[in-house]
Formats: sequence, structure tokens, C-alpha cells
Amino acid sequence: MDYDPMIMDDAEALGPVVKISQADSVRVKWELSNTDMSFANSLRRVMLAEIPTIAIDLVEIEENSTVLADEFIAHRLGLLPLNAEGVESLLYSRDCDCDGCCEHCSVRLTLHAKCTGDENMHVFARDLVPTGDRINQVLGTPVITDSEGLGPLILKLRPGQEIKLECIAKKGIAKEHAKWAPSAAIGFEYDPHNKLHHLDLWYESDPKAEWPPSEYAAWEEPPQEGEPFDYDAVPNRFYFNVETAGPLPPDVIISEGIKVLQQKLAGLIHELADEGGDGGVNGGGYNGGGPRSPEYGAGAGVDGFNGGGVHNTLWRRRRRESERVGWRRGGDGIWDDAVRGGEQLVVRGTLARRGGGLLTT
Amino acid sequence: MAKAKVKKDEPTAAEPASDVVMDEAPTSHQPEAADDGMSVDANENEDDIEEEEDEEEEEEEVQRVRLLPGSTPTAASFEFLNEGHTLGNALRYIIMKNPEVEFCAYAIPHPSENKMNVRIQTFEGTTAIEALQKGLRDLQELCDVVTDKFIDARERFVAASSS
Repeated sequence: MDYDPMIMDDAEALGPVVKISQADSVRVKWELSNTDMSFANSLRRVMLAEIPTIAIDLVEIEENSTVLADEFIAHRLGLLPLNAEGVESLLYSRDCDCDGCCEHCSVRLTLHAKCTGDENMHVFARDLVPTGDRINQVLGTPVITDSEGLGPLILKLRPGQEIKLECIAKKGIAKEHAKWAPSAAIGFEYDPHNKLHHLDLWYESDPKAEWPPSEYAAWEEPPQEGEPFDYDAVPNRFYFNVETAGPLPPDVIISEGIKVLQQKLAGLIHELADEGGDGGVNGGGYNGGGPRSPEYGAGAGVDGFNGGGVHNTLWRRRRRESERVGWRRGGDGIWDDAVRGGEQLVVRGTLARRGGGLLTT
Repeated sequence: MAKAKVKKDEPTAAEPASDVVMDEAPTSHQPEAADDGMSVDANENEDDIEEEEDEEEEEEEVQRVRLLPGSTPTAASFEFLNEGHTLGNALRYIIMKNPEVEFCAYAIPHPSENKMNVRIQTFEGTTAIEALQKGLRDLQELCDVVTDKFIDARERFVAASSS
């Protein structure tokens, strides 16, 4: 940035600093400093909700004689972490040319287990086997981290019970459904001594005695006795704790997070450049052309774009688009999640025969 | 600025009168272009076929940034579709860093609409659009720097823990 460093805080003029304090295969603890909270928070939000991963989205149940309902099992399957290595070359199935799903936009997994012994049988994520062509040999495989190599428990079978199903895993982001979240949790902390008074700590008699100090408290200067409150202070050091749920290594989550943010920005820059570059995009209503954005049409004065066709064309176009996608994709979550209760369920066979099931085909 | 003067400038516009009124209304209450046939067709007729083809392509790519009514070159409000606090707050911060910018703020007018508004007011030297574009590029640069710093830190950490 070519801003005059004089107007920046002294520390900020040096640019952001990254320090890693602890890292292993599940977590990275790191510190981002000399930047603003708004940027640190953007990074946190993007790592939490907008990194594409892969998760089971459709479940076709062929046989289910377990005690668990089909949709219950489908939900459990959806939440299983799947390896997302190479997911960037997988297409979103909404962008794919195929009808439904294909190897370019999905991974198929099958599960077939029958309890033939006298003991109850446990079905684990390792029993879920990817089938068909895949982009690479790990994409979509269930993440297994326990020492026995079993993975999460999906369900249990009594003697004689059977489960047979096929899953289709698709690419998505956690903004649409939490099953696509790459991280288990992202710790985000600043100002461990609460010098900025952003927190109002509840206490019985003495907050110092009752609130254990944060692990980062040792990293920052504790407040001096009788120190006056600094009204100009802003948070400057942000402590992240990125813990993966398995789909991606934790350091990749961080770099992917920044990448997603970059792509967001690049998309907008591109669009703004387009808008200014050729007036044609906007139906000719702008007197545009040239790099300068044409909204301020010379002919119609300051509000020219307002009464003219441009504004209206855009709206018409956008309305058409909104009808098409129903605003479901990439929403900010609340309504989407409520409306879209997770996995869709395709039931073939069993339920129709069973008759008493919750779902009818 | 000088809003009143231009009210009736364009008699061919679909609804000049309502636009004037709607200037003051919140965006969510503004009409989604009731019937814009007239003014649009007048401009589009000549290359109708081409335009239709264009439109088909454009269906894939919705325009996500819009200039809100009542904007002037140095004081403009933008509406972003499908963006939220993630971009809004960071963008606000970085645009405010620009010494040419007098004021910048963002808002999410309603939580169930996927819209984010950014208001930018600049001094005479630049325009709001330029400030926005510069803000986006600066934020990208900031991301680049953090990526580089993170890669460095990662390498240093790996080197330190392996030795």
C-alpha cells in the first residue's frame, strides 16, 4: 500500500506480522499482529464458513433394517468428515454440465453391512468405501485418525440387521451447511488482560481471582497498578487457534482461507472493471466506456442512471436470476439452513414395503 | 447534492416520478423495475439478437455490485449482493485508510436479505468508485502480505522444530 505512513499508527506502518507458536497435524496456534480487527475477523469468518470441502449430500438407502430411521442415518453420514485434498479441482455440482452428478462434481461411497454373528456389530466410517472414478485417490475418503483405524461410529447392528446404502458426496461450503466446515473450531482471542474493556467480566467478589488468565496473558504486558484507561487503544494482536476436523490440514485451512478472501475480492474487482470497461454490459443505458465507471451519465445529470434504463435492466436481470436460484446458494445462512434441513434423502425399496415409515416414495 | 434539479430530465424513463420519490425510500422498498420495456428497448433494439445471446451468458454471472440511487461522483452508496460482514468490515477499514476518503461505512440493512451496503464519501481528488476499487486492490495486497508472512512463519516454524 502506498499510503503515507504518517497517518498510520506507528506499529501498523510496519505491516502485518505472523507468528506461529504451536503446530501439529490437528491445530495451529498463531498470532496475527499489526493489523486491524476487521481484517483478522474477516479471516476468521472466511476460515470458518467459506472454505470449500466435500461432504455427503445425497444418500440412497437400499436396505435399512436397523433401529435407526433412514433420515437419522443420512444426517449422521452427512456429518462425517471426508478428506478434501484436491477438492479445488472438483466442480460444484450446480456448475457441472452433468445431469445430477458425475465424477467431476461428486464422489460416490457405498456402505453395506449385515450382522451375521451373535454379537452386536459396529459400523464405522472405514466401512464406507468410495467407488467409481475419482479426481485423486484420497478425495472423499472418510477421515480416520484413531489408532485402530476405525473412524467415527456410524451405527450399530443387532444380529440379523442389515444396512445397505449409497452416498453421493458433493463440494460445498459451511455457509450452506456446517457439515462442510473444514475446522472443528477456530479460537480467536485478543487483549488477554482486558485492557480495552471490551469484556465486562462477571464476578462474585474479585474478577482477578475468579477468571483464570488466558494462555496468552503472559505474552502481553499486564496492566500497571493505577494505570489510566487508554481511550485511543485498539486491539492489535490477535491469537488464532485453528483446529481441523480432518478434511484439510490446519495450515492449509489458513492459506485456503486467505485464498477464498482473495477470490472474493478478485471477483468484485473484475466485475467493477467490467462495469466500467464496456457500457454494453449494462444494456447501453450508461454513457459509459473508458475505465471510469459510467454511472454518472453526462446527459442525464447526476441522477441520470436512476431514471434511465440501466437501473431497471439490472433489476430485471437480477430478479430473473433470483427466481432461478431462489437465493439459496451462498446465502448468509440463517434461512437457508432452516429451509434446507441438510441431506436429501432418496428412499428406494424398504420404506415403501415397510409401509409404516415416516417417508413415502 | 443537487438532487432536485434532475428530477424530470428524462421523460422517456419508465417511472421518473416514482424514482424521485423512491430516492428517499430504503432500497428494500424500491420497486424492482415494474416494467422497464420502453427505455431499455430503445437502447437495445439495434443489437437485439446479440443482446439476447449476451443475456444468456450473463445469467450465469449476476451483477453483484450496484450503485444506489442518489449517489454523486464523490459520495456514493454501493449495494453488494451475497456479501456480508466478512467483506464489509475489512473493506470499510481499508477504504478508510485511504487519505482521499472522507467517510466510509458499511451496513447490512436486513439480516435475511443477502445484501451489504457500503457508503463512500471522498474528497475532491478522487471518486467514490475509484476509492472502492482501490480499497479492493489494497485488501488484496494485504491478503498477499499475510499469505507471504504466514508461509515464512510456517517455514521458520518447521525449521525450528526439526532442528
